[in-house]
Formats: sequence, C-alpha cells, structure tokens
Amino acid sequence: MAETNKDVLICRCQEVTLAMIEEAIAEGAFSVDGIKKRTRAGMGLCQGKSCERLVEKIIAEKTGQAPADILPATSRPPVRPIKMGTIEGERNA
Amino acid sequence: MPKKDADVIVIGGGIIGTSIAYQLSKRGKKALIIEREDLCTGTSGSCDAYITPHTKKPGFHLGLCLESMKLYKELEEELGDDLEYWQKGGFQPCEDELSFQLVSENAKDLMAGGLEVKMMNIDEFRSYEPNMSPNLVGALHCPSACQINPFKVVMSYARNLKKLGSQIMTNTEVTDLLWEDGKVVGVQTDKGEFYADYVVNATGCWGAQIARMAGLEAPIEPRRGQIIVTEPTSTVIKTTMQSGMYLVIKFHPEKITDERTKRLGSGFCIEQTGDGTILIGFTREFMGYDKSTTLEGIEYIISEGCKYLPGLRDMHVIRTFSGFRPFVADGLPLIGPVDGIPGFIMAAGHEGDGVALSPITGKLVAEMIVEGQPSYNIDAFSPNRFVKQA
Repeated sequence: MAETNKDVLICRCQEVTLAMIEEAIAEGAFSVDGIKKRTRAGMGLCQGKSCERLVEKIIAEKTGQAPADILPATSRPPVRPIKMGTIEGERNA
Repeated sequence: MPKKDADVIVIGGGIIGTSIAYQLSKRGKKALIIEREDLCTGTSGSCDAYITPHTKKPGFHLGLCLESMKLYKELEEELGDDLEYWQKGGFQPCEDELSFQLVSENAKDLMAGGLEVKMMNIDEFRSYEPNMSPNLVGALHCPSACQINPFKVVMSYARNLKKLGSQIMTNTEVTDLLWEDGKVVGVQTDKGEFYADYVVNATGCWGAQIARMAGLEAPIEPRRGQIIVTEPTSTVIKTTMQSGMYLVIKFHPEKITDERTKRLGSGFCIEQTGDGTILIGFTREFMGYDKSTTLEGIEYIISEGCKYLPGLRDMHVIRTFSGFRPFVADGLPLIGPVDGIPGFIMAAGHEGDGVALSPITGKLVAEMIVEGQPSYNIDAFSPNRFVKQA
C-alpha cells in the first residue's frame, strides 16, 4: 500500500486529520461518537455526512472491529441546516 | 479478599468520575475507572459548558462553586492541556419586571455571599451585548462567570491519571457489588471481578441503580435537557447568559401562565463556543431515559431564544441534542461515605452543576479517601440524609 499522508483531512468542516483520528483511537476511542468527542470530527456544518464513513473505516482498520459492529454517531434533527426564523414562523403562523 | 486491582474503583467515566480518579492519582493512589460505554458519554458529553456562580444558591453552594472555579483556573497548567477555559463573564437577562425584581433581590444575597455582581438597566446591558433585544428590562452582570470545554476536561483528566499509573476500562458494565464481612470490596462486571479498598459511585443519572446494589435508595432521576446548536458564526454574544425567568419558574411557578413554559421550561440560556457555534437551551423534562429531541422542545427553545436575541432568526440550526441531568429532589448532590455501607462512596446527583463542581468534587472525595476527611465541610451533601433509620 502506498504511504498514507497523515495530514490528509478526514473531517473537512472541523479540519481533523487522519493523524488526529489515529491518535484518538490510540487513546481509547472505539466508536464514531468516541472520535467525535476527542477530535470534533463530525461536529461541523455537515454533521458528519462526509466523514462518518471514513471514520468508521479507520476505526475498523485500527481496532480490528468489523465495520458493522462499530457504533455510528447519534443522528439528530435537523437533517439539513434550517433557519430558526423558519421554525419560529411555522409555529406562529 | 483476592488480590487488589486498584486502591479505588471509580464507577463512571464522566466529568465527576475522571476528576475523582485524577485527584486520587495525584495523591499517590491507584484508581481504576470502570465505564459502561466510553468516557464523556452520559451527561458530561451532552451539556452546556458554562460555570455561572450567580445562578448558585448564595451560601454553601455558591462557596463550593467559587472553590471549584479557583481549581479550574490552575487546571490547564497542571494538566498541560488547553481546556478552553475562558473567563468571559455572564449575564442574567430579564424579560419582565417580575424577573428583574427577583434577580435584583437575589443579587443582594449573592453580594453578601462574596460574589461580585451588578444590576444593569437595558441600555447599560446592551452596551456590553448590543445584539440583545431592546425590549428586555435589564440584566445582572457577573464578571467572574466562565466557560470550559467538558470534552477536553474529561479527556485531559484521563490522559493525566493514566500517566500517574491509574487505569481506565471502557465498555465494561458493573452488574453488582462484591462484599466481604459487610464491606464493599469490589465490583462484578461483564468482564470479570475487580477488587479495591473503596468503590466510588460516580454514575450521575444512573447513580440510583448502583446505589441500590449497595442497599441505598438514592433519589436521583434523569431530567432531560434539550439544546440546539447553530452554524459557526462571528461573535454574536460575548458572554454566557441564563435568563432571570429561571428564578420565576423556580420560586414563583404560580406566575407562569404559558402552558409550554410550565411543562418544558427553564428559561433561555445561551453561549458561543470557541469555534463560533452557539448553544441555546434548554428544556427540563422528566422523560425517563428517553434521549430524543422533540419538535415541541426545539420550537420552545427557538421562540424563547428569538425573543431575547432577535438576530437568531437569520441563523441556521445544524443540530439538536439532549442529555440527562441527575436531578435530586432537594437540589443537592450526594457526596461522601454512607452509614452502614463501609467501602462505598457516593459522588452523584449534581444535576446542572456537574461541570461547575467537577474539580472540587474530585478534590474532596480524594481527600476523604486519602486523608479521612475533606478540607471543606460538605455534610450537607452527605448521602446519609437518605439512609432510613432502623
């Protein structure tokens, strides 16, 4: 396998690199939420839509867990960013 | 007792458990944290981040909070990590005359208790926070209020206690306590038995279940708080804020006419984190261990938020989350040994004060174990108030 660039961004929103994710795993993270708490990966504007799969794959590689056994991050509303005025307006309409 | 695995077993890897284990390690003890899921996964991972002495009850509670704040100031240097400690000051904005009056009365008690606070009219308040609504009445200002990142605190305690020779087991569930001659000597887990001189229950909202294993009925209940998160933005507010309505809800519930506020309410609170996202909260609901966020709850938070900070209407919500606060009916945590249950120590039930009281709780519990008594009298927190007299 080609040498991996450890500075490659895994979570673009929060600028979290592969090296930071590997360090979090070395410190004990074993789930997507665990990586999130330690690095902020998945906490940005897209809420993990781009990085979650990548993070799962890295955890699987580093910990030997089957990808299907890795706990995903908790999904929460809203699915897409939504203006607060829109939600407030709905209620008061 | 079979061979000891540690001097002290701490059940729970949140901001209380890791603090206790770190303080024990600093005093030369070997701690073993046993955590059912991962570090910072319960309340500590789903909460606000502010430390606001002006929302504490003047007297003993406020005093402890101030002690804890002193410890936080030194902690970054001691632990060698950036904890995002930020003394930015706090306000308690008031939307009507009644809340302004209650907050003003409380301000006198706070000042008598040694805390620097000042009441401001709306113009003075808006000279600090110009984005706040001009329709508010005024606010209490507390310059010493601060903010901390709970994730960073927990992970930093964890790194440091491991360096000092203590251990952490995640993904390990305590299923029972182990006894010898009427004394708690360890824990049974899904990964085997572990033995120590003391077992500390630092499981927050799950504290009642562990206490029951020891034969103590601890009235700790999960109280759900929903919070919303905005997109990162430039500075909208410079301080942390919790509305004075909270005091009205607490002390004059009969004055609340809005049904939704009665059901969900705790007033408005807001803070902007270092990376620019804004957290707005929150609800207070008894829903068992249901961790959902609800449309009603989110709508409530947003309509309260927009009333205080109209500019929120143009900002985007990117996430909602909820967490449980370990509620105790008399408003005080359970910290200390329990009569009739040697070897077992409680440190749970901080409700919304876990982040604020983490350093002092860790220090006092470690002192109880290592030195036999804490350096600050916390008899009021003794779990013995719930021990049934035979």
